[in-house]
Amino acid sequence: MRKIFVIGRDPVPAEFVLGPSESLEISLVVLPGVSCEENVRISLDGEGASASVRGLFLCKGDEKVTLNVDLVHARQGCSSDQLFKGIAGGSARACFNGRILVVKDAQKTRAFQACHSLLLSDKARVEARPQLEIYADDVECSHGATSGSLNPDEQFYMRSRGIPEQEARRLQMISFLSAVMEGLGEEMQGEILSAI
Amino acid sequence: MEDSQERELLEGTLAQEYKEGFVTDIEQEFVPKGLNEEIIRTISRLKAEPQWLLEFRLDAFRRWQKMTPPTWGHLRLPAIDFQDIIYYAAPKKDSDRPKEIDPALMETFDKLGIPLREREVLAGVKPRGNVAVDAVFDSVSVATTFRKTLSEKGIIFCSFSEAVREYPDLVRKYLASVVPVGDNFYAALNSAVFSDGSFCYIPKGVKCPMDLSSYFRINASGTGQFERTLIVADEGSQLSYMEGCTAPMRDEHQLHAAVVEIVVEAGADVRYSTVQNWYPGDAQGRGGILNLVTKRGICKGEGSHLSWTQVETGSATTWKYPSTILKGDNSSSEFYSVAVTNNRQMADTGTKMIHIGRGTRSRIVSKGISAGFSENSYRGLVKVLPGAEGARNYSQCDSLLIGSNCGAHTFPVIENSCPAATVEHEATTSKINADQLFYCTQRGIPEEDAVGLIVNGYAREVLSRLPMEFAVEARKLLSLSLEGSIG
Repeated sequence: MRKIFVIGRDPVPAEFVLGPSESLEISLVVLPGVSCEENVRISLDGEGASASVRGLFLCKGDEKVTLNVDLVHARQGCSSDQLFKGIAGGSARACFNGRILVVKDAQKTRAFQACHSLLLSDKARVEARPQLEIYADDVECSHGATSGSLNPDEQFYMRSRGIPEQEARRLQMISFLSAVMEGLGEEMQGEILSAI
Repeated sequence: MEDSQERELLEGTLAQEYKEGFVTDIEQEFVPKGLNEEIIRTISRLKAEPQWLLEFRLDAFRRWQKMTPPTWGHLRLPAIDFQDIIYYAAPKKDSDRPKEIDPALMETFDKLGIPLREREVLAGVKPRGNVAVDAVFDSVSVATTFRKTLSEKGIIFCSFSEAVREYPDLVRKYLASVVPVGDNFYAALNSAVFSDGSFCYIPKGVKCPMDLSSYFRINASGTGQFERTLIVADEGSQLSYMEGCTAPMRDEHQLHAAVVEIVVEAGADVRYSTVQNWYPGDAQGRGGILNLVTKRGICKGEGSHLSWTQVETGSATTWKYPSTILKGDNSSSEFYSVAVTNNRQMADTGTKMIHIGRGTRSRIVSKGISAGFSENSYRGLVKVLPGAEGARNYSQCDSLLIGSNCGAHTFPVIENSCPAATVEHEATTSKINADQLFYCTQRGIPEEDAVGLIVNGYAREVLSRLPMEFAVEARKLLSLSLEGSIG
């Protein structure tokens, strides 16, 4: 199954349960002006199931965005990959809680998760709680989280070549989000580009 | 590895388990079991404390009564009956020899490899290098070495009780300034009943000529140890501090709830190292120390630096988060940790880095190793406040799993409110690389030794931060703790 969920427009099922060798690819998109608390649970309940989750959030005002993603590896040989990218400006609060649970005997698990965020203003705030809970030993799991700002060196490079500051910032944000935007299709991409 | 070291390792393997698990037979005095205001008054009286400290304790006790134990740790803590613990136990003093340490105590610390005789240390009889030791036995400090040498430089290094008597102004100024009385359940309990610990003050611009260390020994049965350590490094000073601990093997759980506070003034540099080797309980999970500790330092002034290095191999349960408040501009802190759990041990440990000042930097490297039926968690917080421009954090937490019945978990929290700050976190979990293991066994290295080798390599980044004497001990401990985890 492949699907893009725009939060606030498309209702997101609270739980996805995958059988043997099934695969799931979902993308969660939070556009400016939307405050939400989204809970998504994905259970890899059959051997060899795989899930890919992409997420993108853009908050520029006083939104409060919370994404809770619970990924459960309940059988062996499953794989999962998560990538979240977000930008918080204004006085927005963005919070990502991602848990990977690997139950006992779910051997040969591969689970990866990454959450990257950019802060644009003094009043914005980002929280990340990437959690790994692992009860099996033959696994390969990792998570990464970063939080930072727009790189001033990149900005200087562009501006020294005649690109106005606003445009330079826009380009930086597009490049930051591109890894998630790639798989979203033209229509959605256009909507995100105009929102940046 | 040198021959002698290898032989020691092998002998350790044959002897099995915990060699520090003996009991010293010595006459001790106790206060009655239980906890109430009367007990606290008694402890305070036994230690001949001033009125302000008694009031400090009573205030803490009243707050503690209103608090509940934290339950957020990934631990199965047995219910602790706080009325079933003896809160003060001290070796009886022989009035004939007021200056001498009881020979039985001397022998105990000798057996543990802790040098209490200055002459032998200086003559190089004892293997440990130039280290000043404060040795704490149950609730009292029995000896502090090299005090004279240190005092020539203006350094104060003594037991906490002595500091209360001799330097009340310093103690009053800094006590509970980093860990407030009501900080958490166990810190409040400690503030109410703390017995002894170490006090250390390094004056402005002084570089401490030797490593300082505290050694904590629990001996009496049915007691808890509640030590309190306070370290103050004044402007521009330097200090390397080490802490070690052991306890006898018993079927009961014993409580160890300590508080360590460190104040680092502008330009000062403090390195705090711990090798925690409390009795971990037996293979079935009976007994062992419940290690519920609050450790926190503050980098108060500009350019100050605090570094935590810990090797955690002991305790049935570990609940410990050495933290740093980075208040001074351009101050920095590091946390290096190796936590090993085997059998039924549980560890929930990590750190907190609070960035307040501009240009503050922190680095976290945590290596967890779980084997047997144990649970090992890293829990950490990196918080960047709005004014901390240019703050930088990098965290790396790796977990290694040995066997399919243990658990390894990572619970980091990142809170960033400053756009000009950069926070990075990475974590991985995996088992011992089969190729590496095959490589070793194929060359005739037994599997168990190979695991020891690989684990030591995995933890090297942290072990290399330890002072020399400690590093040797830590390596041995790592191999011993993982004994019997293969197969």
